[in-house]
This record gives sequence, C-alpha cells and structure tokens, in this order.
Amino acid sequence: MLKRPLRLKTITFTFVSILFISLLSASCGRDSGGGGKQLTLAVNAGVEGDALKQAARDYEAQTGVHINIVEFPYSNLFDKELVDLSARTGAYDLIMLDDPWFPRFAGEEYLADLMPLYKKKNLAGPDDDFVQTSLALCRHPYSTGTLYALPYLGNSQLFFYRKDIFEKHGLKEPQSWEDVLQSARVISEREMTGAPGGGRLYGYVMRAAQGNAAVADFMPIFWAFGAEMFDAEGRATVNSAEGINALRFMLELGKSAPPGYSSFNADEVSAHLLQGTAAMSINWPAWIAAFSDPNKSKVIGKMAFTTMPGAAKPGQAEIGNWLIAIPRDARNAEAAFDFLVWVTSAEQLKRSALRGNPPTRRSVFNDPELVAKFPTYPVQLRSLETSRPRPRTPRWNEIENAFGIFLSKANSGELSPEDAMNQANAEIMKIVERK
Amino acid sequence: MQRLHGNNSFSSGGERALPFLLLAPTLLVLLALSIYPLVYAVRVSLQTGTGAGARWSLDNFTRLFSDGFFLSALLHTLVYAVVALSFEFLLGLLLAVLLNQEMRGRSVFRAALLVPMMLPSVVVGVVWRLALNPNFGAINGTLKSLGLNTESLTWTASPRLAFLSVIAVDVWQWMPFVFLILLAGLQAIPQEPYEAARIDGSSTWQTFRYITLPLLKPAILIVLLLRTMDLLRVFDQIFILTEGGPGFATETISLYIYRAAFRFGNFGYAAAMSFVLLIVTNAISLVYIRLLQKQETA
Repeated sequence: MLKRPLRLKTITFTFVSILFISLLSASCGRDSGGGGKQLTLAVNAGVEGDALKQAARDYEAQTGVHINIVEFPYSNLFDKELVDLSARTGAYDLIMLDDPWFPRFAGEEYLADLMPLYKKKNLAGPDDDFVQTSLALCRHPYSTGTLYALPYLGNSQLFFYRKDIFEKHGLKEPQSWEDVLQSARVISEREMTGAPGGGRLYGYVMRAAQGNAAVADFMPIFWAFGAEMFDAEGRATVNSAEGINALRFMLELGKSAPPGYSSFNADEVSAHLLQGTAAMSINWPAWIAAFSDPNKSKVIGKMAFTTMPGAAKPGQAEIGNWLIAIPRDARNAEAAFDFLVWVTSAEQLKRSALRGNPPTRRSVFNDPELVAKFPTYPVQLRSLETSRPRPRTPRWNEIENAFGIFLSKANSGELSPEDAMNQANAEIMKIVERK
Repeated sequence: MQRLHGNNSFSSGGERALPFLLLAPTLLVLLALSIYPLVYAVRVSLQTGTGAGARWSLDNFTRLFSDGFFLSALLHTLVYAVVALSFEFLLGLLLAVLLNQEMRGRSVFRAALLVPMMLPSVVVGVVWRLALNPNFGAINGTLKSLGLNTESLTWTASPRLAFLSVIAVDVWQWMPFVFLILLAGLQAIPQEPYEAARIDGSSTWQTFRYITLPLLKPAILIVLLLRTMDLLRVFDQIFILTEGGPGFATETISLYIYRAAFRFGNFGYAAAMSFVLLIVTNAISLVYIRLLQKQETA
C-alpha cells in the first residue's frame, strides 16, 4: 500500500511532461514569427487572392522581405480574421477583407490607423488617383473618418444584357428600370424558342436566394426607387412606400425570369446568361471574361455591359471592393505598411489588372493597354465612381441575412411585398437595437 | 523484482493505478478536445460583446425566446427529424424484411442499397442540387422528355417542395443505414420461435407482430437512437442543397448556429443555441436509452 503514491507520482510526471512538451513546441512556433524581415498575409482563396499572392512573391524577390501567405476560402476568411483580431494574437501583419466587414473590424478598433504610418514615411497620405468611392470605404466613419485600409480590388455591379436580342426586337439599351421591365416582357413573350437548342429565352434573370444573393440583386432597384434602409437616426425604413414599391417591382420582373429564380445564386444566374436562356441581369465584373470563353459561353460577342438603370433616382450599383488593412496588433506594422503602399501603387495595380482584378485607381482604369485588353473598363469605372456601399454598420452580415430571407420569401410567394417589408423592418430594428 | 517476492500490496496498488495510467492519454485528449471547449462554450454563451467590450450576462439565453428565426429553425428541425425518421424507418424495415427472405439477386439488391450511405453528404448535396435544378436538372429533364409540364416543379425554390426535397434526399441517403441494422437484427433472430409459430398455425402478420417485432426491438431502438441524433444536427446536405432557403423554409438549427457563429461573428449566441440543441438531443436520446434498458431487464 505504501507504494501507491509512487505510482500516482509517475502518472503526474507523465501528465506534466506531456503538457510541458506541448507548451514548449507551441511557444517555439510563436517565436519564429517575430523579429526579422517577415510578414504574414491573410488572403482570400480565389482569383482575388491569387493576384495578391503573386504580387507578394514579386515583392519578396525585389526586397528580400519574406512573406508568409495564409489562405482561406471566402466563407472562412471573415471568422478566421475576426477570431484572430479579437484575440489580439498579432498573427497577421496584413489582412485582405471584403468591404462589408470593414465597419465591424474598424468599429471594434482592430485595425491600425494608417495616417501615423504615412507621416513616419514623410508621405502626405493616399493620393487622389484612387477612385473616391473606393477610398471612402476605407475610412471609419464612412468617407470622413480615420483611414484604416487601402482599396485593392475595385468591383461594382454592372448591368448585363444581350445586344443581339435587343437589336432584333428594336429595343434600346435600358436607361430606367421601367425600360428593363418592358424589354423583359417583350423578350419573354417573343422568344419562346429563342434560346440555343430551341428552349425559352427569358427576359430577365436574378438571384433571389436568401442572404447576400437576393439583397445584392435588389439594392440597385431599392435605391433607384428612392428607398433607404435607414433614416438619419439609424432607424430601419425598408417598409417605406418606396421600399414596398421596389419589392413589388422586383416581383413583377420575376414574372419574366426563369421558374425557380427565388432559389438562384450566382451559379444559376451565370448559367442562364452563358447558356443564352436569359437576356438581362445584374452581375459582377468577374463574370465578364466567361462570356468570351468558347468552353463556357453560347453567347460569344453578344453580351453588352452598362451602368445601372435608374428610376425616381439615377441608377447606382452596389460597390464590392477588397481592401487590405494592417491589424492594430500586427508585429511588423511598418514593414507591412511599406508592402501595402507598394501593392496599391498604380504600377502594381496594373499588374493585378492583367491578372484579372479590376483596379481601384483611375489611371489604371484609363490605361490604354488595359482598355484595349478589357474594353469594359470605361463602363466599369463609370459604374464604380457612381456606386453606393452597402449600409455601413458593424452588423451588416446579420442584417443582410435577415433582409435576404424576407426578400426570398416574397419572391417565392410565401409573403406579400407589404408583409415581407414590414417583417424585414421589424427584424432589422431588432438587430440594430440589440446591445 | 518485487513481484517475484510476491509483494501483494504492490501488485494490488499497481493494478489499481494501471487503468488510470492506460486511460491517461485518452483522458488528456478528451480534456483538450471536449471538456475544455465545452467549458469555454459555457463561458462564451454567458458573455455578450467581443474583445474589450465583452460583459457577463444571460442575454444570449433570454434572446432565444424572442428570436423568431431560432424558434422556426427549431421547429423545422423537429418536423424534419420526425418525418424523415418515419419514412426511413418504415421503408428500411420493409426492405429488411423483404431482403431477409430467400430470393434471387438478393445480394445485388443489398449491395446496391448501400451505395447512397457510403457517399459523403456533401457529394449527395451537390448531386441532388444538380438533379433538382428546375431548368437544367436531370429530374425535370426526364419528366419533360416524358411530355410532362415541369413549369411548377421548382424543387428547391418553393417553400413546401423544398422542405419535401431535403427530406427526400435524407431518406434516400440514410434509409439504407436503417435497413442494414434491421437486417442484421433480423438475421440474429433464432429460427426456433418461427418453427413453433408455424406449428401453432400463426398467420404471417401474427408471426411478424408477435415474434419478429419484439425480438427486433433492441435493433429498432438503436437505429432510431442513432438516426434521431443525426437528424437533429443535420447540416451538410441542406447547406449544399438549399442553404436554408427559399426564405427560411429549410433552415435547421445547425445551419442557424453556423450562421450566427461564422457569418455574424456572434459566438456567444451560437453557443447558447448549441446548448439548447444539446439538451433537446439528450432528452430524446434518454427516452430511447430508458426503453432499451427496460427491454434488457424485461
């Protein structure tokens, strides 16, 4: 019996040594991250992140600064960054972020103020070449506040339509949403067998799946009808007369859309456009290239791209930019800043543009070599310069989700436009008011 | 060396410590991967706000009762579980009984039935998403070529149809599992009671009702228990197939928890909802386990 404590000691010893070893190996991992010329960069896995990754490799070759790249798929990037920034681990020196996340990150004071870093380098600040609507996204509060990021990729929605079909029926490029509706009706009626293979060619196609999809495709209509999501005091106003009318209009337009559009996402919409079974849509510039790819497109050379139609107000596209920011707890903020300024320079944004990413600088959009390669750049610049951001609120993801659910419910016939907007309004108010 | 001297006190002490020593690695892993996250989840669920703004409160739990999305997601989950389980069980039992008889091609049927179960749920989701696409999908394509009007068959786009579609996909994938367990249960039943029943002149139905079912009860309870737990936490197929839509029609509790945590960055609320799911799952499982224990002692 006397020997038992000895055995327990052995067990304790085993426990402690395992713990010790694991702690030791963990701390080793951390040490190697600090000091020296090294940067860690969190990027989106996809075409947007690929260009940044290649730029980082160029930078390494030029300066000898080693850049570790941590890649996450879009659906994980936000939460990985949020968890890391809120735990203040300083794991990343630079993060790539989608602009709707910015108010949350900036509002929680997770990002480094860039102006002191500009001063340290004897620079005045970001130059005037940046598209104003893109740079405005990087300030908190919007447009006027502190600069916490620089814009890297300048997307905004475009209006896609089939110019061959429009010409065939004597229709003009739509200037207003009313034009869109009339043209959609004409095309849906007259093109019963107009699609390649003899199927029906629908006048309009949109994403009305709940969440981001329905909201993104609805906002240009919502804004054009004169509706606003919030009033000056921050109260939700989606159930205004203008808001309800905009949703009614969306349902009207839906009658000229392929059946089942209330569950469509980007893939379905693009498939309809590429297969030639739909004539008009709102879409993002990233899809433009696919229309001239013979492996994907049955409508090569037939698609035209223009700015958003208007209604009571001039048309405005939703802006969707990728930004790059330096976390407040970054270990190498100065070195990170050098890279940030370098990678958002006109020269580097041109290289990024050649890799398929729309720039955020006017000079790059107007570059003759690029315009020759990407004929839609002038339209993209016009759309970007007149675009609007999603409402700047730290709870946007949640608001967008709720709003999208009710838009989808209205489009699938589950709720009337009035009920959908009233319920959406109540739900958005609940999210905004929650402590 | 002490053992050779037959030191009794040592060997008994050693034997008592040995199980703990052998369990230690498992316990350590359990501690790191289950207990710690669980305690952490409790902590997070009792906090609102993040970082410096975090404070202790019960808000996450009180919010559950006023959150219409949460309540309808919970309802969807329960309806989904009950309907899918009923179909899976009845079809699985029917097929198990049928394929337990001697018949030609039995082994082919059995093997074919197991294929859906072996596919990852994500693959199942993608396959059915493509097949159910109202315009380009295989199902409407087939129906169209048979001359049917498929205009209103927007499988994942109208709320009721979408709910039925996700249930049908679950039944398609997991009915084979029920079938497999029940078949194993059937084959473990001894032949003697059947012979006795035949001699006593009992009908097929009587044999099934009074011999097969009671003897199959342990297998039935186990399969119901496993399926119920799985159904209550269903995530992957629905996430791929409809992402909870259209609107909120197919949103289950796991999807909503995922959204709250990883899309909205609201880990506290997600943790609170997870505890509700845990309690519901445990309560239902406990009923099955009680029934199972009663069966064993009876």
